[in-house]
Amino acid sequence: MGSYLALELRRSLRDRRYLLLVVGWPVGAYLLFSTVFGAAGDRSEGLAPTIAIMVAMAAFGAMGGVLMASGPRLALDRQVGWLRQLSLTPLSPVRVLAVRLITAMTLSLPAICLILLTAAIVKDVTLPLWEWPALVLLIAAGCLPFAAMGIVIGSIADGDGAQGLTMVIYLVLAALGGLWVPEQILPAPLQAVAKALPSYHLAQLGWYVARGVAPAIGDGLVLLAWFAAAALLAVGVSRRLTLRAA
Amino acid sequence: MTSETADRSVTSDAVHVDGVSRSFGAVRAVDDVSLGVGRGETVALLGPNGAGKTTTITMVLGLARPDRGTVTVLGMSPEDAVTRGLIGAMLQDGGMMPGVLVGELLAMMRRLFPAPLSLQETIAVAQLEGLEKRRVDRLSRGQSQRLRLAMALIGDPELLILDEPTAAMDVEARRNFWHAMRGFTDRGRTILFSTHYLEEADISADRIVLMARGRVVADGTPSAIKDSVGLRVIRFSVVRPETSGLESLPGVVSASARGNRVELRCRDTDLALRALLSARPDAHDIEVAGIALEDAFLSITDGVAA
Repeated sequence: MGSYLALELRRSLRDRRYLLLVVGWPVGAYLLFSTVFGAAGDRSEGLAPTIAIMVAMAAFGAMGGVLMASGPRLALDRQVGWLRQLSLTPLSPVRVLAVRLITAMTLSLPAICLILLTAAIVKDVTLPLWEWPALVLLIAAGCLPFAAMGIVIGSIADGDGAQGLTMVIYLVLAALGGLWVPEQILPAPLQAVAKALPSYHLAQLGWYVARGVAPAIGDGLVLLAWFAAAALLAVGVSRRLTLRAA
Repeated sequence: MTSETADRSVTSDAVHVDGVSRSFGAVRAVDDVSLGVGRGETVALLGPNGAGKTTTITMVLGLARPDRGTVTVLGMSPEDAVTRGLIGAMLQDGGMMPGVLVGELLAMMRRLFPAPLSLQETIAVAQLEGLEKRRVDRLSRGQSQRLRLAMALIGDPELLILDEPTAAMDVEARRNFWHAMRGFTDRGRTILFSTHYLEEADISADRIVLMARGRVVADGTPSAIKDSVGLRVIRFSVVRPETSGLESLPGVVSASARGNRVELRCRDTDLALRALLSARPDAHDIEVAGIALEDAFLSITDGVAA
């Protein structure tokens, strides 16, 4: 299982198009947004814009890293018959799915770390020392629902379809979840939608930490509920991955 | 190697398929099929497309469950045999992990099995030398096929299952392939493979299971199968177009007539000819010929239509 996990991680980190999309894009967006909206004296989420936007873009990048690493790849692996071949080895289907889940979760890290680093170096963001690792771990852990969503997408859509579907879900979650613009400036009905989305609560977790306070339990619970729902769906549809007998 | 082979249990058949049926919608892909493969045997599942070979193989691997009947592999369920790393398989729709190198993929696969071959030996047997650093998605068709073989062999499985393994190969590649397989069976391992080439089954298999339209229509040694098919024919013209009794002449497998021209499918044309001349003095314009293996094979499988 360990060797399969290592190879999954290695092939993900070797994929330049993937890295450009899930790391390059959020880092670029961070530099743009924090420069445009970073005027001294502005406040957002009770934070300096360079910090508030750092957290939002870290959540955006993490979510993309996880979604793109799970759904589209799983769909492709299914389509080319790799999952079928893998199911004829002693590696059990549950372990295959566990590897995919861990791989996806791990791939939240490059974007988070690079955005935090960019903020610290380019935008002179300073935070109490403990807040840096807390931000990384909390945002990474909060990506669990997206990893499970990826398994659902990879089970039901084919290669190109999965890519498109993932992208749509990614952008909707980012835009409506208040990662690009603060959810307060969205129209009222959309604000209600925002507060139901996992992306919104993922950013909330980070903003709490950046303000130096403990995250509200409610955000964690919403993320857990999304994970439970996606995981339940994944268990139902992952049979389509032909990991085992039909 | 020998001691390791001896350690493994040899109490049951390698493959035991008993009264298995499987339908897809209204189509009965496999219809009451029974077959056995003994340990150390190389058995060919021979038949045209749509005969049910792939479906049978899929059930032997535990990738599909039979609607009826049972499948046992090495004395256990197919799932257990797979979990213990006792089966290696080359599937028609099996694929490679995209985006990794040949060497990386094989090294990873190797660690999934309890008692694998060495990486070097696998690469040598599958003739992949020099391709270790090549991306698996940049291989030619023949190279991909060899990598598939390597993935099937690397666990040093007790039973190797190959679904049309040589379909994409030219004559020389096919010969190399079966040469490599003999190295595998020489160590007491079992092979079940499917093919639609009678010639390949004849040369490579100890036994042929002939399938057509989801059923087993013949099961025996290649020479027995060839005899029952009738690989030589006697054609002649008759005055009375009457074929009854001709089938039972010595050396004759079957008889058919078109107009006043009769064709006898024979396993022994010398014997048949002598008997024919005394039985039917009206036979004239006699011609003895061999027929292509493929034609013989098609005629027997077509005969199962009813």
